[in-house]
Amino acid sequence: MYKSILIIDDEPDICKYLMAALEDNGFTGTSISDHQLFMSKIQSVQPDLIILDIMMPGRSGISLYKDLRNNSAYNDVAVIFMSGMSPENDFSPEGIRNFLQDESIPLSEGFLEKPVQIPELIQMINTILSKESL
Amino acid sequence: MNISSQQLNIWIKDHLFDAIPMGIAVIDKDFNLVIANQSFEKMFGAWKNRKCYSVYKSRDSICPSCNGSASFEDGVSRVSQEVGFNKNGRMTRYIKHTIPVIQEDGIIPFLVEMTTDITEIEQVRREHQLLFDQVPCSISIIDRDMRVVKCNKRMQELFGNIEGQLCYEVMNERRDMCAECPAKKTFDDGKMHSGHAIVTKKDGKTAHFLVRTVPLSFDGEYLDQVMEMSVDVTQTLKLEQELKIAHSFMEIMIDASMDGIIALDQARNVRIFNKAARAIFNVPEHHRVTKNELNDMIPEEFTEKVSSEITHVSLPETTIKTLDGQSRPVRLIGTNLRVDNNFMGIAFSIQDLRELKRLEKEKLESERLAAVGQTVAGLAHGVKNLISGLEGGMYMLNSGMSKSNIERVQEGMEMLVRNIGRISLFVKEFLTFSKGRKIRVKMSEPELVADDVVSLYAENAKNVNIELTHTSDNDIAPAPMDYEGMHECLTNLVGNAIDACRFSDKDSGRHVWVRTFEKNRAIVYEVEDDGCGMDYEVKKKVFTNFFTTKGLGGTGLGLLTTQKIVQEHGGSITMQSEEGKGTIFRISLPRNRLPILIENNEQSKTDESIP
Repeated sequence: MYKSILIIDDEPDICKYLMAALEDNGFTGTSISDHQLFMSKIQSVQPDLIILDIMMPGRSGISLYKDLRNNSAYNDVAVIFMSGMSPENDFSPEGIRNFLQDESIPLSEGFLEKPVQIPELIQMINTILSKESL
Repeated sequence: MNISSQQLNIWIKDHLFDAIPMGIAVIDKDFNLVIANQSFEKMFGAWKNRKCYSVYKSRDSICPSCNGSASFEDGVSRVSQEVGFNKNGRMTRYIKHTIPVIQEDGIIPFLVEMTTDITEIEQVRREHQLLFDQVPCSISIIDRDMRVVKCNKRMQELFGNIEGQLCYEVMNERRDMCAECPAKKTFDDGKMHSGHAIVTKKDGKTAHFLVRTVPLSFDGEYLDQVMEMSVDVTQTLKLEQELKIAHSFMEIMIDASMDGIIALDQARNVRIFNKAARAIFNVPEHHRVTKNELNDMIPEEFTEKVSSEITHVSLPETTIKTLDGQSRPVRLIGTNLRVDNNFMGIAFSIQDLRELKRLEKEKLESERLAAVGQTVAGLAHGVKNLISGLEGGMYMLNSGMSKSNIERVQEGMEMLVRNIGRISLFVKEFLTFSKGRKIRVKMSEPELVADDVVSLYAENAKNVNIELTHTSDNDIAPAPMDYEGMHECLTNLVGNAIDACRFSDKDSGRHVWVRTFEKNRAIVYEVEDDGCGMDYEVKKKVFTNFFTTKGLGGTGLGLLTTQKIVQEHGGSITMQSEEGKGTIFRISLPRNRLPILIENNEQSKTDESIP
């Protein structure tokens, strides 16, 4: 059975690109560009993994991530944060920890810097999902 | 014996006794008054059949220590100073000569007592003594040997009992006469002399005395005593010295002040014009600035205004004219000098702003460079998104071709075209930003800038159902600013606010409020929206690294450009935002930091020197 991956990025081009790449690598990809659809999409898609952009208008990926982790039904869904920011610009486990402002929330399973290298993405997804299934 | 001498003898016999202006009385061994003259009767009143002690002293019995008894005994004349009571019962001082009348056989039947009333003299003598002792200076009388004959109480208090001692030994601790001795000069020429002496008091402390010597008595040509009057001026000298020090301290301070200091007296004459003021106004060192010259340099209205105000009048940034007619930017503070509400004059403090302006410009420049550095870092974020778009397009194109998926190929092509378009937009905006534009300062009405921007967006806002309003204070004075620059700032902020409303969950009742007002001498622009607001991580990024959350719609340069322009106006931009509630951006432009409006010819000069 294909693993289902949900992509959230306000840039439709990136959503299309990643969806195509994921499908080419044997995953089912779904994407949304509007954060307001976030929870309802999760309910309908029941993703195995979420790729979450950080900088989006209105609400940031961090804020969505907090909602997800605080929702008991989905708090164990694996998440990869994706951002154009670099480690120097706080896109690092320490930086995200700082942004989260809540020690009780665990960090995401992966960090992916844009521009996304597809092989790296696929390897990261596989590693995370194989750990989950153990 | 001729007739006249006979008559004289008769007069002496009959009248002299009564004519002598001295009381004369004769008493017998039992102290009865036997006879007395008129002067006596005038002094003591009725005397017939009375005892001497009753008449002189109003006693009922013989005096305890009776001179008369002694003279009856030993036949010796006596002089005594007595106190008794006159005929009116008032206390009287008198000198009494007691002369025994001795018979040939040695018996003394009578005493003749001659009494002089010295009540008045004694009074004067006492007054003199009091004056001598209590006058607020030290007085001594010195003889030709420089010995102290007499000194007043004050002198004794200071030097102890020094009568009979050599003045230079007891007062100056010297073995020989002082070199400059006013007393000696007085002895030499018989005139008054003054001098200054450092003396050692009996407590061992030294004191400064101002001395005046006066010839006291002549005996024919022979001057034998000098009165020396001294005043202790130690305290006065000390105060004088302190005053001198305080005065020179003030002078040095005024002269050393980095700020120009000018002081005018009541008649507006220039009394102080310090070094720094000379430098600012190009006044040569020995040139005395006149009233009229000053009026040409500092606007006369300003001086008038200062003299009519109780406190300071401050012009944070104004222009003065130098003595040779050049304009200079200064900070000018005028103070009305008053003592107990009496007008004493006017003081000006002038700060040369040329250097400050230069430093401010340098600071703005370095702030701008730092901002550019930050942008480059922030740029990476934008570039990465663009690259992702290009890579995505390439991927779609490649994979579509290998899979013969025409739809994917088409999509890939579209992505490439779109992102190349974004790249050119991005590059264009970035170039505009990094090149910067020269700030063009002109006197502008602050609220008009905001009016312009709001009307520019009015239609746009209406179309997306956002209420856009502008309110402003009426009385904001025109200010030197770059109109176009400030227009761009507000355009960015209002545009962002409208976007924030569009992104919010609400689709009605959305507002953007623009406000222009002045507070604490700063022009303030506020742009508030009740749109989506920002969450913590976005807020943190807004001013550190510029980025966009608008995807295709923004380059992330808007706020950076805004910040740069605000900085060039010496101002600051702050932001408050709450997720889901809204955001306020606030531009604050303190008037005293606004760019100086300089006439065109000088503007070009400044531009040359500070690129």
